[in-house]
Amino acid sequence: MPADYLPILIMLVVAALFALVALIVPYYMGPRNPSTSKSDTYESGKLPFGTARRQVPIHYYMVAMLFMMFDIEVIFFYPWAVIFRQLKIFGLIEMGVFVAILLVGYVYIWKKGALEWD
Amino acid sequence: MTDLTYDKLKANFPDAVLGKETFRDETTITVDAAQLLKVSKFLRDDPELRFNLLLDVYGVDRRDLGASPRFATSYELYSIPHNRRVRIEAPLADPAENGKKDTLPAIDSVTGVWGTANWLERETYDLMGIEFKGHPWLHRILLPQNWVGHPLRKDYPIGGEPVNFTADRDNPRFAHLGKQIMDTPTFHSELEDMDAEGHLVVNMGPQHPATHGVLRLAVELDGERVISCKPEVGYLHSGFEKTGESKRYEKFIPYCDRLDYVSTMSNNLAYVLAVEKLMDVDVPKHAQYARVILVELQRIASHMVWLGTHAMDVSGTIHALLMYAFYWREQILDIFEMVCGARMTTSYFSVGGLRWALPGAFEDSVRHFLKGFPEVIKDFETMLTDNPVWRTRLEGVGVLTAEQAIDLGVTGPLLRAAGTGFDLRKAQPYSSYDEFDFDIPTATEADSYARYKVRMAELWQSMRIIEQGLAKLGKGPHRTADRKVALPPREEISTSMEALIHHFKLVTEGYKPPVGRLYGIAENPKGILGFGIISDGTANPYRLRVRGPSFVNLQATDLMARQGLLSDIVTVVGSIDIVLGEVDR
Amino acid sequence: MDWIQTLLIPIVYSTILVVILLTGFAYLSYVERKLVARFTMRFGPNRAGPFGLLQPLADALKMMFKEELSPKNADLPVYLLAPFLAISTAVIGWAVFPFASRGFSVLGYSVPPVLADVNIGLLYVAAVTSIGSYAVVLAGWSSNNKYSLLGALRAGAQMVSYELPLGLTLVAVILVVGSMNMTEIIQYQLDHTWLIVLQPFAAIIFFIAGLAESNRSPFDLPETENELVSGYITEYGGIRFAAFFMGEYIHMITFGAIISILFLGGWSGPGADAVPFLGLVYFILKIALMIFMMIWVRASVPRVRYDQLMRFCWKFLMPLALLNLVVTAIVIAL
Repeated sequence: MPADYLPILIMLVVAALFALVALIVPYYMGPRNPSTSKSDTYESGKLPFGTARRQVPIHYYMVAMLFMMFDIEVIFFYPWAVIFRQLKIFGLIEMGVFVAILLVGYVYIWKKGALEWD
Repeated sequence: MTDLTYDKLKANFPDAVLGKETFRDETTITVDAAQLLKVSKFLRDDPELRFNLLLDVYGVDRRDLGASPRFATSYELYSIPHNRRVRIEAPLADPAENGKKDTLPAIDSVTGVWGTANWLERETYDLMGIEFKGHPWLHRILLPQNWVGHPLRKDYPIGGEPVNFTADRDNPRFAHLGKQIMDTPTFHSELEDMDAEGHLVVNMGPQHPATHGVLRLAVELDGERVISCKPEVGYLHSGFEKTGESKRYEKFIPYCDRLDYVSTMSNNLAYVLAVEKLMDVDVPKHAQYARVILVELQRIASHMVWLGTHAMDVSGTIHALLMYAFYWREQILDIFEMVCGARMTTSYFSVGGLRWALPGAFEDSVRHFLKGFPEVIKDFETMLTDNPVWRTRLEGVGVLTAEQAIDLGVTGPLLRAAGTGFDLRKAQPYSSYDEFDFDIPTATEADSYARYKVRMAELWQSMRIIEQGLAKLGKGPHRTADRKVALPPREEISTSMEALIHHFKLVTEGYKPPVGRLYGIAENPKGILGFGIISDGTANPYRLRVRGPSFVNLQATDLMARQGLLSDIVTVVGSIDIVLGEVDR
Repeated sequence: MDWIQTLLIPIVYSTILVVILLTGFAYLSYVERKLVARFTMRFGPNRAGPFGLLQPLADALKMMFKEELSPKNADLPVYLLAPFLAISTAVIGWAVFPFASRGFSVLGYSVPPVLADVNIGLLYVAAVTSIGSYAVVLAGWSSNNKYSLLGALRAGAQMVSYELPLGLTLVAVILVVGSMNMTEIIQYQLDHTWLIVLQPFAAIIFFIAGLAESNRSPFDLPETENELVSGYITEYGGIRFAAFFMGEYIHMITFGAIISILFLGGWSGPGADAVPFLGLVYFILKIALMIFMMIWVRASVPRVRYDQLMRFCWKFLMPLALLNLVVTAIVIAL
């Protein structure tokens, strides 16, 4: 029932309001005395060299991609798990096939070295 | 006695060898600067010589010694296979005398022969103003890049320059110094051969939680992988060598405490031994044993600092181990406090013996410590040695093979963890170490874990030495009876005119060693500490050279950290065990 | 007067929850400092007030009155959004946690034991807790600081990776219970036995992955002070810094609560059925136990390296969680 979710929405609004208040009020409480040194990017007391916004190594992207694939597959498990007791053996076999396909992909990326960090 | 090194050199390079001098069993061979490179290669490669370890490179400004030409560079060589030492000196004329005002005296760089010469030559260039031809990257190392002059030259004044201790770039009053430190054109000098576009170049330090004081590491990263890691030092430079030239021999002892400030007793010992050798003073056995006990206690204390900080650096969160290790270091510092009143800056050893006699409770308190400490080491070992996370963080990280280590002049536990059982306490025993029965722990893996194991094993060996020292200690005079270097006892001054005169002379003038030079080395917890002294017969050293083991060992960071991950840098720096006081001097 | 039941009570309810969580966070920081201090032969905070009990208050006040700096190269909107996300997402998961066996009524209006008794409670919790990684990644990216960037990259990769074993263990739990509703999960444990007995592997994997998800030691790589100074929060100060801190600590509490509900029977315990308040006490005690475990781990386990962390997740936890799931399914089907 959608009405069940109303309290969650309320909680969301309350939490957001609290966060806003907590972040905005101190802004008017503290002193303000900015200078170039203070607002510099911190790099261990040295002037920063180059920008930090740059191409990031492909590794991280690969992790994100792998996560996308596997997480969607994990999401498929949820409804299955809820009605598993009704599906019985049929559900087991169905999911066995699904897990097998998942495993093939998993073994493939493992062998391909996508899980290596070197 | 025939001198093999000299004879072989003379036979092979008759026109390169200019002379030979021996003082207190140390040979100095003067070599023509133009042929230095050839001679160096020969010294390193000749199977009978094999001077594979270059301990030190330093320049001497001989203006006031009456020697000509004005400059000379000295190379302290050590042959680990043959356990032999020699000093090569190459005199250099000053081009300024011939009217070439801005030209520095130049000599061939020996970096191609001994890798360790890299930083040592940079330091000589920085402080003495000697140019090394063929050096891969000759820039100032301890002083800011735009510093004017070379401080160790005799015509450079001591003091007198205004120094502003604030470096705020926004404040016009300090604009100059602020610029000097922050904005010099070579500010990113270390990055010159780094690919700042393709890779991420990050500074670790000087204001960084993991770099043990003001060390800067410029790290070139490809993702998490380290492409190169260049240490930059000098933030703590305080001109110890220059200061030493204006201090009496005895007065320099407190400065030694400020070198490696977690192993002060060891520093004191190395310096005092050098001066004693220079003066040819004998130290009573009681004092020698006491020194050994204290130095080994200091070794334990130093290793405790290393263990605690290393564990915390690597693991980030085992504060527990840091606190436990420091707790036991405190026990040792308590003993030091009882002995000399100071916990860290001890200055307890004086030339000729100990500054004061040991207090009566000394032996008991050391025994008390020895009783409790083995349990603690076992605790540490259970916490770490077989801890799977600890092992995976250390094993195979920062590998430095024996060959690489010797080439880079790396000594101490790092070298021993690479399988070379080289320890001066055994190789060239000093302070009666030859009377003690102990082993040199070694490991062969040459990685950070091997260093960890070696240092932990050294704790046990130090305890063995201390136990034997306590057995031998007995009673006896705590300093030499030689009134030329050691103050007479108080009661003697009231009765003996001669004692009063000695006292007066020592206090007002200090002692004056004979003219000569030597280079004293000792095995510190972190490696070989060397003091090179050139005496002109006055109460102050003419030239005082300090070789800090951390300084030389730190050079290996790049090699060890390469191809590791970012986290491994912390492991590597921790396993080198540096103290910036000694690096920057 | 239906609006009181549908609007006012949830508003008051969630306000109280948020306030309790925020103060709870403050005292959790105190507890952690005290505990870690005792683990390391120190005393911890003991100056402000008796036993240093006012220390969190002093810290909070200090944070509020600090100058707020924004780095000049930062992407300001994102830079400010990140701490907001950190606080707000950390608390909303609590909407579906049941606190006791039944609610009570005030002036004829019933106050339920759970704010929103939705039938996809578990899915909801899994969804909102993972929003927290947005805060981390955005903070790291917007600061335009290299340490922050590295921290954010690490955080992103780590948090999404550990999401997988986490999700798989949740599936195992759902499989056993047959529902995603929190109340029904607890009811199942009341009828049978605690799920930690039935699903010990799932519980352990969940605890480990939970540590990684909430950036707790030994998986606190996004903010390793030894390499990255403070990681993604390097450029934050004052209350914004505190916001991330808050987020992390509330995450800790949330994870304690999830583990308690999923594996330790939530509010269940002797007498909790008859006296609902006792259930709340049991629930809090179980959360406290979990938090104590997390702090204990922090004080005694060395931090792993980044590649080891990822390898551990993908090559060990993932297959283990999958295996656990398959075995559970087979056992239930037969």
